Amino acid sequence: MPNKKIALVIGSGGIKCAAAIGLVKVLQEEYLPIDLIVGCSGGSMYASLIAAAVSAEDMQARTLYLWTNEVMKDYTSNLKATQDGSVRFNERSGLVDDSVMNERLRTTFDGLTFENLAIPLKLVATDLQTGEKVLLDKGPLMDAVRASLAIPIIFPPWEIDGQLLVDGAAVDPLPVDVAIQEGADIIIAMGFMLSNRGRMRSMTAVQQQLNNIYMNNILKSTYAFYNLAHHAEIFPILPDFEEPLGMFDTDKLPDIIARGEAAARAELPHIQRLLAG
Amino acid sequence: MEKSFELSGKIGIIVVKGSVDALTAPHLATFISEQIAAGHTRLVADLAGVDYTSSAGLRVLLGAVKETRALGGDLRLANIQPDVKKVLDLSGFTSILKHYADRDSAIGSYGG
Repeated sequence: MPNKKIALVIGSGGIKCAAAIGLVKVLQEEYLPIDLIVGCSGGSMYASLIAAAVSAEDMQARTLYLWTNEVMKDYTSNLKATQDGSVRFNERSGLVDDSVMNERLRTTFDGLTFENLAIPLKLVATDLQTGEKVLLDKGPLMDAVRASLAIPIIFPPWEIDGQLLVDGAAVDPLPVDVAIQEGADIIIAMGFMLSNRGRMRSMTAVQQQLNNIYMNNILKSTYAFYNLAHHAEIFPILPDFEEPLGMFDTDKLPDIIARGEAAARAELPHIQRLLAG
Repeated sequence: MEKSFELSGKIGIIVVKGSVDALTAPHLATFISEQIAAGHTRLVADLAGVDYTSSAGLRVLLGAVKETRALGGDLRLANIQPDVKKVLDLSGFTSILKHYADRDSAIGSYGG
């Protein structure tokens, strides 16, 4: 299939999204040309770095810089304060003081805009007030990534052009549809199911588990629809994770990357055969 | 991709081997349609030899299920390999298609 438009889609999945570093290693080794990148939530960070032609080693370093416990500043105290009524919550609130995260995102994406990337990029966020999917493809990357990964309740929404934006995973955890809409013929889609919990010791843990169930079902149902409704060829890359990963399990980064690389290598012969055919 | 057809009583067995992708799926679709046109509407697809199916392969399976069910039959799957099962699970196919661990169970599911 010569001259076919190839899109790379990286879905939501928190720290698991670092598996995209392993995927991009494989794509670069094989000189597979990517014409478009689409990202959502945690996947937005890696989609952006790949689009900016940042090396795999540098992506790993930026992950370690960005994802530490400090980005959860004041989470516990704010959670208690909302429960005892001393702090009131509204649509602009989050349990985390996002100043640390915002500063780190500014540093990570310093000077990068959608307009100066090596590969065209589109990121997905959700309008908290309308529930609509919002496509971000203009302006500073920091703003778009911050909006796309704003896990509701935990991180405050991020305002862009008057819209209060939160995590794109709420509407489109693996945004294959964006690649289809942009005319991609071949779509390499790295997606992640959220891990289930066996034991839940708090109301927030139960809430988190319910959220994971909802999200996994949104992922499956949207993926099924996109698969059947369009004629683009979709290659799902689904790294295996034996154990649930915490949000800041960056000590497992080498393993996460290796799993991404292994999943990509398993899919590679099928992609290459289609391109050669 | 290789494909063949055999009969087990009144049940038609479609044996597929290799990869089903955008290049090979149209051939498989035609092949299955030919069997249905020949009157074989109670089908089992034995996927023991299928190491991979892409979205194009999924569309063929669903098309065949619709076609056979419209005629009072069905397409049931047997011997799905783990990598293929993962894709079928993700895309919801294991919820709407009947699938069995082996060919005999799939044939037996049609009853007498």
